[in-house]
Amino acid sequence: MSNRSFGYSVSELRGINLDLEMPVELESLYLKEPSLRNCIACGNCAAVCSAGNYTGLQFYRLNVLASRGLLREMAKKAEACMLCGKCQMTCPRGVNIRHGILLMAQL
Amino acid sequence: LVSLLQALKSLRYCLYRKIELMTQQKVAIIGAGPAGLQSAISLAEMGFLVQIFEKEERSGGHLAHWHLLFPDMQPASEVLDALMQQALHPNIDIITGAEITTIKHFGGKWKLTNCDSMDYQADALIVASGFKLFNAGQKEEYGHGIYPSVVTSDELEALFNHQRQWPFNEKLKSPKIGLVHCVGSRDAKCGNLYCSKVCCVTAVKQAIELKKIFPAAQVYSFYMDMRMFGLGYEELYQQAQVDYKVQFIRGRLSEASPADYGRIQVKAEDTLMGRPLKLTLDMLVLMVGMTPSVVLSNGGLSVELKTQNIKAGFVKMSNGALGGSLRMKSGLFVTGACKGPATLPDVINDAKATALETRKYLKGVL
Repeated sequence: MSNRSFGYSVSELRGINLDLEMPVELESLYLKEPSLRNCIACGNCAAVCSAGNYTGLQFYRLNVLASRGLLREMAKKAEACMLCGKCQMTCPRGVNIRHGILLMAQL
Repeated sequence: LVSLLQALKSLRYCLYRKIELMTQQKVAIIGAGPAGLQSAISLAEMGFLVQIFEKEERSGGHLAHWHLLFPDMQPASEVLDALMQQALHPNIDIITGAEITTIKHFGGKWKLTNCDSMDYQADALIVASGFKLFNAGQKEEYGHGIYPSVVTSDELEALFNHQRQWPFNEKLKSPKIGLVHCVGSRDAKCGNLYCSKVCCVTAVKQAIELKKIFPAAQVYSFYMDMRMFGLGYEELYQQAQVDYKVQFIRGRLSEASPADYGRIQVKAEDTLMGRPLKLTLDMLVLMVGMTPSVVLSNGGLSVELKTQNIKAGFVKMSNGALGGSLRMKSGLFVTGACKGPATLPDVINDAKATALETRKYLKGVL
């Protein structure tokens, strides 16, 4: 007999704990690309993203992940970027996204 | 000799007032905050006699205990001093500690009375009673009045003015401080569906002030939308985010609970991440909204000034987009923040406009 599901399962802990120490790499990320701090999460970058349709890449969310200290998750997701640069043309706050995402993927 | 001169001066002033009183038209104003003071100044300059009634012991309203003003970080005292200076005009008299309870229109005059059976008559009346701050204790889940580390935006201004003690050790290297927007605003549970308009930019201003005092502090702002409607506000917001590294987290705080050493643990949904978030803070600041200060309940020509109750609403005006301050044709005007949440420049401009309307009324050309 197959395993029966009772309608619920437990996922990994999803909560964000801001009491944890921020990773040291975060400060150097902002130092190398200070414009990352300008993001207001409007979502323009994700709306024009060529890779986004197939990979779920949303640059503004990478930025949020970074500011919450979740760098590992951020770096993994950043790999989906093709570096086409459309996001950067549309960013209303002038974030240097290509450089930012490159740094993120390298972490 | 100086005191003799002063005595003569005041005697001359008394005589001057006596003669003028017999000929000049009188305007009564309820409230000596920025709205009341500015409309009094404008009317006095036009030659009318103005009597202001202030229920508090001092003039200035909320401005009197504010520290700096958005968006230019101008000291609040500078603005208030300028208003008070102009209000020294010989046509203006201010009575403090006098709460008006009933206003009546009788025989072409407005009669003002209070509990001490004080009686005053004027040709026109301006209600400039301002706003009340939302009572944060109503949002029990935030623990104001229960946990000393939870303060209101108003109490934070008192901290900036050195009139209170910081609720955490000042020597703390990097205190963690959270600011919660929309406390008592946009909240049907509190009976207030409206946006109080000025709290968002006030939170940004206060976050910057906190970072100036505690440069290593970690400041978090919990918002639903950042409503940066005025010129210079969005720029201030960007400055807070980029230069002062204030963290803006989109999501309304669900609760605050006590943690060790008098700290506060807060929980919220990080709606940009779609995940729950928790954080322990050394101080939590509640951005309390504006609520109506009085209710004008018309029954015939008698108007009672009652204190607000839930869903009472601000004084409603009927002229729609054309604005204006005339509430009753018989010369009752309403000005400033008792008509709804407003910034200081809004209030000052409204008070100047109200003075012009009052003049028109008194000259019989309205």
